Amino acid sequence: MALTRSERAPLVTDAIPPHLRRRGITQRQLFMACAIAAAMPALLASHDTPAWTEHLGDSRFVHRLRDTIAAWDEEMERSGLSRPHEMLREAMARLLNLQWSDENR
Amino acid sequence: MLFPTLDFLLFFLVVAGALALLDRNFAAKKAMLVAASYFFYAQWDWRFCFLLAASTAISFTAGVLIGGNRDPRVRRLILTIGVTLHLLILGIFKYLDFLILSANQLAHLLGLQHELPFIEILLPVGISFFTFHGISYITDVYRGDVAVCRAPLDMALYMSFFPQLVAGPIVRAAYFLPQLARPSSEPIPVAAALLLILGGMVKKVIIANYLATGLVDPVFAAPETYGGPDLLLATYGYAVQIYCDFSAYTDIAIALAALCGFRFPRNFNQPYRAQRLREFWQRWHISLSTWLRDYLYKPLGGNRNGRFNTYRNLMITMLLGGIWHGAAWKFVMWGALHGGGLAFERMAEPVIGRRPTSLQGKVVSWLIVFHFVCLAWIFFRAEDFTVAGVFIAGLGSGWSEPIQQAQPAMVALIVIGIAGQFLPPGSYERAGLLLQRVPYWGLGVAAGLALAAINALGPEGIAPFIYFRF
Repeated sequence: MALTRSERAPLVTDAIPPHLRRRGITQRQLFMACAIAAAMPALLASHDTPAWTEHLGDSRFVHRLRDTIAAWDEEMERSGLSRPHEMLREAMARLLNLQWSDENR
Repeated sequence: MLFPTLDFLLFFLVVAGALALLDRNFAAKKAMLVAASYFFYAQWDWRFCFLLAASTAISFTAGVLIGGNRDPRVRRLILTIGVTLHLLILGIFKYLDFLILSANQLAHLLGLQHELPFIEILLPVGISFFTFHGISYITDVYRGDVAVCRAPLDMALYMSFFPQLVAGPIVRAAYFLPQLARPSSEPIPVAAALLLILGGMVKKVIIANYLATGLVDPVFAAPETYGGPDLLLATYGYAVQIYCDFSAYTDIAIALAALCGFRFPRNFNQPYRAQRLREFWQRWHISLSTWLRDYLYKPLGGNRNGRFNTYRNLMITMLLGGIWHGAAWKFVMWGALHGGGLAFERMAEPVIGRRPTSLQGKVVSWLIVFHFVCLAWIFFRAEDFTVAGVFIAGLGSGWSEPIQQAQPAMVALIVIGIAGQFLPPGSYERAGLLLQRVPYWGLGVAAGLALAAINALGPEGIAPFIYFRF
């Protein structure tokens, strides 16, 4: 039997309004979109992936994974794909280092 | 496992793959989501999964027993037992050491030498949230606001669903359980969800994290070493940090639920634009404020029994709302300030009106409410009353000293955080409608590019969300 909301139950506003729910995608398309989204940081932010493997342990599989990721990172650096990521990071560091006056330096 | 991490991205990729495989089998989809939710929760401490399962079993059993009895006294007894068991679990894991500490301090004041030993139990992540889920379900069944859930799988998913498990929003049974009765026929609103996820990532990874490490943490750690400008800007900084941190979590939770095919309620609505304290609570952590209203304030009598009782009920509700946040007197103080403020506002309503009408009135009201909320945040954030006292006293001095922590980038983040509160209503909807025209692969590319950029702009490492400890 379907459950229904009684008249006395509190009315709650859906966070996503109805007109944004009318168009969308299927679960399969969602999986594809997630896979594409996950692949982009692997291309552009490859410098961060070697550090991520540090908490995975010390098994033979992990060692092999580390080697693969390190080789991948070198390849991305050689191709220049990871450069925009580094430039953004440097720009942010410069912004964070701005001071109101030289006395604070 | 935190939302803005590679671990979570991989976890969700597996969940999305499983959802695609199980698209036509709703029961299997629900079972997979329960398994994924327990796996997600086990990443903090696998032993807490038993606690979550016990809380689920209490709610399920109490609901079935209440539904199977017509005798009002028996129904009430089962409700009392169910709610007491939930509160007992919460009390033992969250408040026992606080009670022991308070008892020891009282004994010390009375000149007694004996001290009770501390239990030192690890606080299970999200316990306050799933306890409130359980209590609201049992109470709603008793009141007849929701049909009895006779499917253990549905109850398990309601209690453990991973997007909201550790920090809300508090989703009512009457809202969520009907969604588990049959699969949704709607498409996945990916554009709306993507906006929430990316907005949440910017708020958490960039604004909240930098404000915490660059301004708020150092100033609150040693307020006596800073002048008035640093202290004032750290107060504003914390107001922006806690909003960006908590609203980011719930925005991402809402989006993840939508991607799994479920709806969640709205939890924040530009709270710092409020011109009355009552309005602030209609915009801040809406799922908690409405929970407190429906399960505490109204049962206490609400505003039905005269002015004095209304003020008393407001005070009790906010005091308990304060202690819900954590086992410390500073949270009681935070609740007392809000309770007192709400009571005062009601008292003054015949003079100041329910809402300001003139432009000057709106600006002045906004300034008063915003600064009152900021004052209460000082108690919420400070280590204890002593630090809060030093902090507040320091606000009035040292205005000629050079600024140490609140450098241009920090001030810019505060300005961005507050300016975001005044975006015209409907901005999110308009952006969502524009994004809807982009094909799914284009959204995937856009999401990946944005995630990489946010990763580059944010600091290394992500601090846990503030509300995880509540």
